[in-house]
Amino acid sequence: MPTERAVGFPVSAAREHDLELARRAATGDRPAQRALFLEQRANVHRALFRILGSNRELEDLLQDAFIAIYRALPSFRGESTLSRWCQTIAIRVAYLTISRRRPPTVDLSLVEETVAGGADVLRQVQVREAARRLYAALDRIEAKQRIAFALAVIDGKPLAEVAELTDSSVFAVKTRVWRARRDLLRRARKDAVLAGYLAELQGGES
Amino acid sequence: MTKDERLGAPVVEPLSDAAWSRVERGLWARMESSPATAESPPHWRRWWLVAAPLALAAAIAAIVLVPRHRATELAAGDESSRVVSGPAPSSVSFGDVHIELDASTALVTSHEPGHPGVLLERGAAWFAVAPRLARPAFIVRAGDATVRVVGTRFRVARADEHCEVEVQHGLVEVQFHDRVVAVGAGQRWSSESPGDVAAIAVAPPAVAPVAPPEPTLAPVAPPEPTLDAPPAPAEPRPATRKAAAAPGDPQGKPPSSRAAARAPEAAADADRADYDRLAALEPTSPKAALAGYLALARGTSAWAAPALFAAARLAVDHRDPRAETLLGIYLQRFPTGANATDARQLLARLRQGHR
Repeated sequence: MPTERAVGFPVSAAREHDLELARRAATGDRPAQRALFLEQRANVHRALFRILGSNRELEDLLQDAFIAIYRALPSFRGESTLSRWCQTIAIRVAYLTISRRRPPTVDLSLVEETVAGGADVLRQVQVREAARRLYAALDRIEAKQRIAFALAVIDGKPLAEVAELTDSSVFAVKTRVWRARRDLLRRARKDAVLAGYLAELQGGES
Repeated sequence: MTKDERLGAPVVEPLSDAAWSRVERGLWARMESSPATAESPPHWRRWWLVAAPLALAAAIAAIVLVPRHRATELAAGDESSRVVSGPAPSSVSFGDVHIELDASTALVTSHEPGHPGVLLERGAAWFAVAPRLARPAFIVRAGDATVRVVGTRFRVARADEHCEVEVQHGLVEVQFHDRVVAVGAGQRWSSESPGDVAAIAVAPPAVAPVAPPEPTLAPVAPPEPTLDAPPAPAEPRPATRKAAAAPGDPQGKPPSSRAAARAPEAAADADRADYDRLAALEPTSPKAALAGYLALARGTSAWAAPALFAAARLAVDHRDPRAETLLGIYLQRFPTGANATDARQLLARLRQGHR
């Protein structure tokens, strides 16, 4: 992760590392491509998961995202970190996925980690149920609004960062988040769980 | 809501090591097989200005040029193509090779004149290859196994690193690591015992009907255990479940001969081992077994469905308050699964008890 590298050694060294890795991977150097995959996979996975929620296509989408990343590597100039650049591409892959069709929400994922008798069982169940309802509602709103909301509100990224990641203006992102929230709140009128969860997420928004 | 009562953002569920391995394997396969046709990075702004006319032109071309039959015909001049079947079986032809894909199967075809062949990424497919005569042998790669064909009809199935070859007509040559085995008509080979060739107990059906063990997109339930006892009144017990673990038909039909033939392959599967371990754990530590079943059910392997049903059944047995929810989720996710009838009955019984 770039932030971890920045802690370990100077930013310029991190940038050099990114540029060198990207350059080697762009030439088809398989070890470099694998290094890039291992370095960025969690980052790309997080971006896709935040936007799309749990779904059974995630593994295929990860492949799509990395193929898109490898194809675009020649255009990487080191103007942003490799991590952020990969996130941008992952977000675009998510965008196309949402635009093509509505990804189904997998209910099962909301139950997986429940351990009978554990102290946090109720809390876990509540989080999962709230998340299930949130992503089900997100399935029904416009793709760009959904992405802006997922990144800014669910993932807690600053609006400026979301704007950079989605190649949009801060104003546009703010508008999309506002519209997404308005749509979600309208859908939450008959859903107290979703309404409460939205209120909580709004409270924690950066 | 106090700070302590806050639920927090939804947790990003980590992928298992096995899932990452699948992603990486599929990624390299796609990179190697179709570097020229892999997806290019999508553009965020105004992509539709370019895409819309192209899509329109493609649609018109498809209407005018594509012959109206079910099988997709790939142009012989294509370098390579990636073909993925959805929830239902599909078929594809190129040149004089016809491939019938099981549901949720992915493969990459190579059309290079000197190296015609297929890379099987996941799932299973029947291949009908016309006699090659003087032409180069047709090659199917599945994991570490390579099948060379001179003209025959055969099936290759792959689940992670395990693969299986069945031959209906003709003769194929299977290379696995440094071992080469000839597999003739009516015989099958498995990577479980790469040196042996066994007779197929029952002739394979003309169309491959069994879902592969690694569904990714399909709403169709993968093979899952059925109950030994008639499903009507009996609750499945731990003792019956292990015996029922041989995969049956995903739609709840009786297990097919090929499903039975796949049992050795499934036995080696890590998920099955987990499933068996949890079954053994049930009598002594039902809570841990239930948690384990739920973890297993999170995956997309063939054992997700039986594990989810086992979790629900165990919850019913132990009056766990999640029983009803789990049964509901099972029925929602696998409405035609092999245990769907049992799940409905258990659910009805639970609801009756609540009244």
